[in-house]
Amino acid sequence: MDALPREAHSYAMELRQVGRAVDRPLISVVDDDESVRESLPDLLGEFGFAARTFSSPEEFLASDCVDRTRCLILDVAMPGMSGPELQRELKLRRREIPIVFITAQREETVRPQVLEQGAIECLFKPFSDTALLDALNAALRVH
Amino acid sequence: MSGYGKSTNDVPLEGSIPTGTAPLESILCTEELQRRPSRPPDYEKENRALVKLVSALADSPGTIFQTLAETIQDITQCDSAGLSLLTKDGKKPHVEGQRFYWPAICGMWNPHVGGGTPRNFGPCGDVLDQNRTLLFTHFERRYPYLMPVSPTAEECLLVPFYVDGKAVGTIWGIMHSERRKFDAEDDRVMASLGKFASSAYQSWMHIEDLEIQVAKREKAEAEVRDLASGLEAKIRRLVEANVVGIVMWNLEGTITGANEAFLHTVQYDREDLAAGRVRWKDLTPPEWSDRDERAIGQLKATGIFQPFEKEFFRKDGGRVPILLGGALFEGSGNEGVAFVLDLTEQKRQESARVYSEERYRVVVETASDAVVNVDDKGSIVFANPATATIFGYDPAELAGKPLTLLMPEYMRELHQTGFKRYLATGRRHMNWQGTELTALRKNGEEFPVEVSFGEITRDGHKTFTGFLRDISKRKQAEQALRRSEAFLAEAQHLSHTGSFSWRVATGEITWSEQLYRIYELENSVPVTLDLIRTRVHPEDLTLYERMVEEARIGASDFEWQYRLLMPDHSIKYMHALARPTRDQDGQLEYIAAVQDVTARRLAEEARDKARSELTHVARVTTLGTLTASIAHELNQPLSGIVTNASTCLRMLAADPPNVDGARETARRTIRDANRASEMITRLRALFSKKSAVIQSMDLNEAIREVIALSLSELQKNRVILRPELAHDLPLVTGDRVQLQQVILNLLRNASDAMSTIDDRPRDLLIRTEPEDNDRVRLSVSDVGIGFEPQAADKLFEAFYTTKNEGMGIGLSVSRSIVEHHHGRLWATPNNGPGVTFSFSIPCRPEGLTSDGTRAGRIPSVSDAA
Repeated sequence: MDALPREAHSYAMELRQVGRAVDRPLISVVDDDESVRESLPDLLGEFGFAARTFSSPEEFLASDCVDRTRCLILDVAMPGMSGPELQRELKLRRREIPIVFITAQREETVRPQVLEQGAIECLFKPFSDTALLDALNAALRVH
Repeated sequence: MSGYGKSTNDVPLEGSIPTGTAPLESILCTEELQRRPSRPPDYEKENRALVKLVSALADSPGTIFQTLAETIQDITQCDSAGLSLLTKDGKKPHVEGQRFYWPAICGMWNPHVGGGTPRNFGPCGDVLDQNRTLLFTHFERRYPYLMPVSPTAEECLLVPFYVDGKAVGTIWGIMHSERRKFDAEDDRVMASLGKFASSAYQSWMHIEDLEIQVAKREKAEAEVRDLASGLEAKIRRLVEANVVGIVMWNLEGTITGANEAFLHTVQYDREDLAAGRVRWKDLTPPEWSDRDERAIGQLKATGIFQPFEKEFFRKDGGRVPILLGGALFEGSGNEGVAFVLDLTEQKRQESARVYSEERYRVVVETASDAVVNVDDKGSIVFANPATATIFGYDPAELAGKPLTLLMPEYMRELHQTGFKRYLATGRRHMNWQGTELTALRKNGEEFPVEVSFGEITRDGHKTFTGFLRDISKRKQAEQALRRSEAFLAEAQHLSHTGSFSWRVATGEITWSEQLYRIYELENSVPVTLDLIRTRVHPEDLTLYERMVEEARIGASDFEWQYRLLMPDHSIKYMHALARPTRDQDGQLEYIAAVQDVTARRLAEEARDKARSELTHVARVTTLGTLTASIAHELNQPLSGIVTNASTCLRMLAADPPNVDGARETARRTIRDANRASEMITRLRALFSKKSAVIQSMDLNEAIREVIALSLSELQKNRVILRPELAHDLPLVTGDRVQLQQVILNLLRNASDAMSTIDDRPRDLLIRTEPEDNDRVRLSVSDVGIGFEPQAADKLFEAFYTTKNEGMGIGLSVSRSIVEHHHGRLWATPNNGPGVTFSFSIPCRPEGLTSDGTRAGRIPSVSDAA
C-alpha cells in the first residue's frame, strides 16, 4: 500500500512537521490521555499548525516550548497538576498563552470557571474538528 | 328409819323430820314431877357423892365426866345417866357447837358413849331452848333417830348446865321401864348436880388450859434446848470442821488452844501446841508487829478487833497469808478467841484475777475498735488507744467528757433522753448489740459506726462499756456492692439478658429482675419449672423437657435456643447458657444467663431479606455517583475516534491525498472504538443486576479492570494510584463482579478520604499478596483524614458514614460480600496518615460452587482483546 517503506514515511512525516515548525504557529497539547496525544498532532498538522504534546503540565513547564507556544490545548483533569492549575501557574509566571481547554467531563462548573480565568474556549470531548479550529483561530486572533 | 343407828354408838348428826312425828308437847311430862309423890332427900348420900366428885376432879380431871354420870345414877337410882356437851367437831366441848355429844354415860346406855344428838332437833336442844329442866317420855316418838338407841327411854330427866351464863350442855338420867318414875326430889338433886357440873366443867376447862400452856412452854423450852445444843454443836462443828482456823490465845503471845485447821495452816502439830511452842508473837514476821499492836489497842478498847490481813510464819519458815479476826472473852482482860483464815487460795485467785484483768486490758488496748467506758452520768471514764485512731481524740483528753461528744449534734438529745429513761426504767431505747449509728470525729467528720454496749453494776452504780467499730469502709464496700448490683441489673436490662440459678436437688430457682421482665411475670411469683413451662412455646416444649432432664442428670455446660409464647401470642426468641457448679454441700446448682434475642433474630431475618436488595441498591448508587466518571471514561476514546476520523477525512481530501496518514488515523480510530466498546461491556457487567456467578478468577486482573474504570475519577481527584500487584498471586474462586464492586468501593472511599488533603501527595496504594493457608490479601492504603480508632467497627455498619454526602452503604455491603466469600474485611489506621482497608479471602472457599458453564457470561478485558 505504501509507496515508501515505513521508516521512510515516518522520516518524511517528521521532516514535514519540523519544516513546518519553522514558520507555523506552535500549538502545545497537554493531556495525560495517550489517544489524544496521538490523534491531535495529525489534525493540527492538517490545520497547518506545528504541534508538540506533553503528558503532564509539569512536563510542559519543564520544556522549551512555553515561550514559543501560540496556543495551549489543555486537558482539565490530570494526575498531579490539573489544567486549571497550570492556567493559574502560567498567569503567575506572566506567560499569557491562550488556552483551549478540552475535557471529557460534562461538568458545567468547570467551563465557566476556566473561561472566567481567561481561557479562549472549553471543549467537551469528543469535539468536532471545526469546533477546535474555530477555537484555535480565535486564540491566534487575540494575540 | 331402819337406816339409822345399826351400831350402838352411831346416832346420825343430821336427820329429817319425818311426817306425822309426835309434837313436842306429846313427849313432855315435866309437870308430872310436881304431881308425883316425892321421896325424902338423902343428904348424906348426896354429900358423899359430891366429895367423890371433888376428889375425882382433884386427882384425875380426865375422869370427871364419868364420875359425874355415875353420881347421877347413884343418887337418882335411874337406869342410865350421862351428860351431853355442845361440840363443833364431835370431840371437844364448844359453846357454839351444833351438836351434842355424849362424853360419858353409865348404866344401860353406857355402850352409846361418843354418840349424841343434833343441837336443834333433840331433847337436849329442847332443854336449852326452854332453859329449864324437862321430863320426856318416849322422846323417840318425836325424834325417830333415837329409836334404834336401845333400850328405849320410858322417861328421861334433863337439866341444863351453864358456864359463864351460857348453856353448854345437859346432864340427864333415864328410866327404861316403869320400875320407877322421876319425882321432885330427882329434879332438885339434878339441879344441884347441874350447878356442880358447871363448876366442874369450868375447872376442867381451866385445867385443860393450864395443861395446854404447860405443854406449850415445855415445847418452847425443848426447842430452846435443841437450839442451844444445835448451836453448840454448830460451833463445835465449826471448830472441828477445820474450815477456818480457830485459836485461843492470850495477850502474852501464847496460843492455848487451836483446831487442826490452824495447825495445818502454820504446819505445827498438836505436840508443839501442848508444849507451848506455838506462840502467835513468834509466828508474826517483824514487819507485821505494828499492825498487831494496833489490833491489840482496838481489843483493849472495844473487846474485839476487826479482821485484817497479815502473814504468819509457817514452821518451815515460809510465810502464809491469813485473815485474822478475834475477840477477848467476856470478863477476861487477857484471853480471847480468834479465827485464822488461810488466804493462800484467795491470793492465788486474786493473782489470777489480776492476770485476767491484765489480759482484758491488753485486749482493750490493742483492739482496733474504740472501747469507751462511761459512768451513769454519761461521762467517759476510760477510752482505749483505738479511740484516737478512730475519733481523733487522745484517750486522756476524753476522760470526764460526755459521751455525746462522739456523736453528731442532732443525736445528742435523743441519746440523753434514752440514757435517762434507761437508768430510770431499765428500758432500752436501742439494740445494744451491733447497732449502726452515726459518730462524729474530732475533725467534724461524720462516719458510720457499729456500736455494742454492755453494762456492769457496781456499788449500785451502773457503768457502761461500748465497742465502737468504724464501718465506713464496710459501708463503702456495701455501697460499691449495691452499685455493682445496680450496674449488673442495668447491664442485664440493656442487654436483654437475665440470669438465674437452679438448685437441682431442691428445685429452688432464683431469677434476676430482668428475667422476670423478659418472661413478663411479677417479681413476687416463686419460679418453678412448671411455671416456666407455661411460657415455653408449644413447639419447643419437647426440647425444653429434654434439656431439663439432661441438666438433671449430667453436669456439663448447656446452651440452647428456644421460644416463648407470651399471653399476647407474641413470640420471644431466647438464648440460654448454663454452667453447673457445686454449692458448699456439694449439691448441683446451675448458673445461667438467658438472653432475649428476639430483636436480633428479627433483625437478622430482615437483614437477610434486605441484603440482596441492598446489594443491588449499592450497585445502582455506585452507578449513579460514577456516571461522570463513566462518561469521562467513554468520552476519552470517543474523543480520539472523532479526532482521528476528522484527521483521516482531511488527509484524504488533501491534494495529493495523504493516504498513509489517513490509514494511520483510521487504524487509531478502530483501536479507540474497541476501547470504548470494552468499556461499555465492563460497565454493563458491573452494574447489571445479576445473581452471583462463582468462578475461578485472577484477582489482579479484576483489579486492573476496576482501575481502568475508575482511573479518570481518581485523576480528577488528583489521586496518584500506585498498584503493587503480586506476580505469583494464586487464582481465587468467587464472584468476580461482586469482588470488583468491593474493590471499586475501597478505591472510591480512599479517594474521598483524601479529597481535602493538600499538604501531601494524595497517594493511593493498592496491593495484592498471597497469604499463608491458601489465601490472598488485598489492601488499599490512603493518606487521607483517617478515622477515630473507636469508629473502626462502626465503619462497617450500614448507613454509618464519615462523609457529608453519600449513603455510607458501601462498606457494610462490601463486608457482606467478603464474608460471603468466607473472607474478612477490616480497617487499620496507618502509622502515618490515613487508613488501610484490607480483605483476605480463601482461594478455595468451601460451600462456594464453581459454575464453569456460566463463567463465560462474565466478560473480561482478555476476552475482548
